[in-house]
Amino acid sequence: MVENPKLKRKAKGARPYFFDDPAIDKLLAMLMGLAGEVSVLRDRLDTVERLAEQNKLFTRSEVENYQPDEDALRERAARRAVFLSEVTRIIEAELEGMQDEDDAPYTQALELVNREP
Amino acid sequence: MQTSELEQNRHSILPEPNHDELARQQFVRSFKEHLVARVHPGNRLAYEHRVKPAFVEENGREPDNRFEIRDVMVRDPHYRMFSALLRTSQEMMWSASQQPVQRELRELAEKAKDADRAGGSLRLDPDLEIPRYHKAVDIHCQPGGYHTEVTRDDVAPGAIYDRAVFIYAMGQMGPDNADMGDSAAAWIKENYPDFKPARILDMGCAVGHSTEPYAQTWPDAEVHGIDVAAPMLRYAHARAESLGAKVHFSQQNAERTDFEDASFDLVVSHILLHETSEKAIRRVIAECHRLLKPGGLMVHAETPPYKDLGPFDAFMLDWDTRNNNEPFWGRSHDIDYVELSGRAGFDPEKVFEVMAPSAYQIAQARRSKVFQGGDFGGGGLWFLYGAEKQAS
Repeated sequence: MVENPKLKRKAKGARPYFFDDPAIDKLLAMLMGLAGEVSVLRDRLDTVERLAEQNKLFTRSEVENYQPDEDALRERAARRAVFLSEVTRIIEAELEGMQDEDDAPYTQALELVNREP
Repeated sequence: MQTSELEQNRHSILPEPNHDELARQQFVRSFKEHLVARVHPGNRLAYEHRVKPAFVEENGREPDNRFEIRDVMVRDPHYRMFSALLRTSQEMMWSASQQPVQRELRELAEKAKDADRAGGSLRLDPDLEIPRYHKAVDIHCQPGGYHTEVTRDDVAPGAIYDRAVFIYAMGQMGPDNADMGDSAAAWIKENYPDFKPARILDMGCAVGHSTEPYAQTWPDAEVHGIDVAAPMLRYAHARAESLGAKVHFSQQNAERTDFEDASFDLVVSHILLHETSEKAIRRVIAECHRLLKPGGLMVHAETPPYKDLGPFDAFMLDWDTRNNNEPFWGRSHDIDYVELSGRAGFDPEKVFEVMAPSAYQIAQARRSKVFQGGDFGGGGLWFLYGAEKQAS
């Protein structure tokens, strides 16, 4: 199959930024992009639940009243902990750096490798 | 026919989004509704509670025009947040509308070629020069604008636009995006009950959202639609045929068409004038005058002029000028229509400016009833400017 030619993705005309630091505008755009994808996922889950009910696999009220057992609770908690740790990685990394006695300022490494013989 | 504003009416050339593409589009609409209902009102609040008092403190008076308000509002944190989100929603809208079209690009072009059932026609002019005011930026941030073609017989800009307009207006223009044409036609019928136009021209028709209503309102009339962008017109033709509306589309610039003098009873446009320029708008109105038969009628639908709004509302409606690739928006809202029409040959006495009620009554109760950037159709009224050509 021949691939379709690509449509332009960026509109001609400079984009306005509203905050003093455009990084804030960009973060907001990413946040809304992410919110959009969460919403897409939620709609898809809704479709799955409705189809399951329609096809008599399980009902939405079964989903609603589902009681996770000990194992499920433990697995979910562990998954959430990993998820949060991944998302907030930058904060943890900074703290790890503070505690690492070997973690010298980057400039020291620059000086080291660029020193005249 | 569907009468809900929840989803757009389908027709044979409307792109078919898959599950997630549709969910993405519907999210953008919800995001826009949230901005209108929950975030936009904060701008007035911020203005009244902190921005205006600070201005008064410094200057000993209130700001007296939209430019002074702009100078201080652009520094307000809420206005910045609102603006950053509204601009983002606009970009997400085009992106989400484009995805299914990118996927179906060639199929759509092929499908459009098969369309002819209602007896309308399509006439393209590959030599037509796309005006500079149309090409300087991609209007309302549609990537590639109306005119860019990437494949043979491309209809992509039309297919993207058709879907995006429904999301942009949040359904407030009805399931066929037809409210501007419907409302203008209804207003003409009510105010000129004996007027039976035999030949009608819609200038800057894009995909024909506002053109079909004239064919429906006056089924015996010969209806024409012109636009500078070929891909819009190919799509418009296929769409009209699919909807059973007989419309003759041709690729022409409204500043100077190839139609004969005094050959139309009714010449209309819908949100065209603000996409032109100071020079072009004068030529367009002069062309309307040339094309109209004596006793004929010209009607242009736009958003209301700033003179009819308070300075804060004018400032908010002006958001698009700087932030949504609408460079002529601001200036066009300050135009003196009486002077403009007089210079084009119309009798200034015969010029009218009215607010026509939205024909799409179903949405009335839910509307915000204000005119503001990012809430297209929310006002529940359309501004109409026009004039009768003197009977000879």
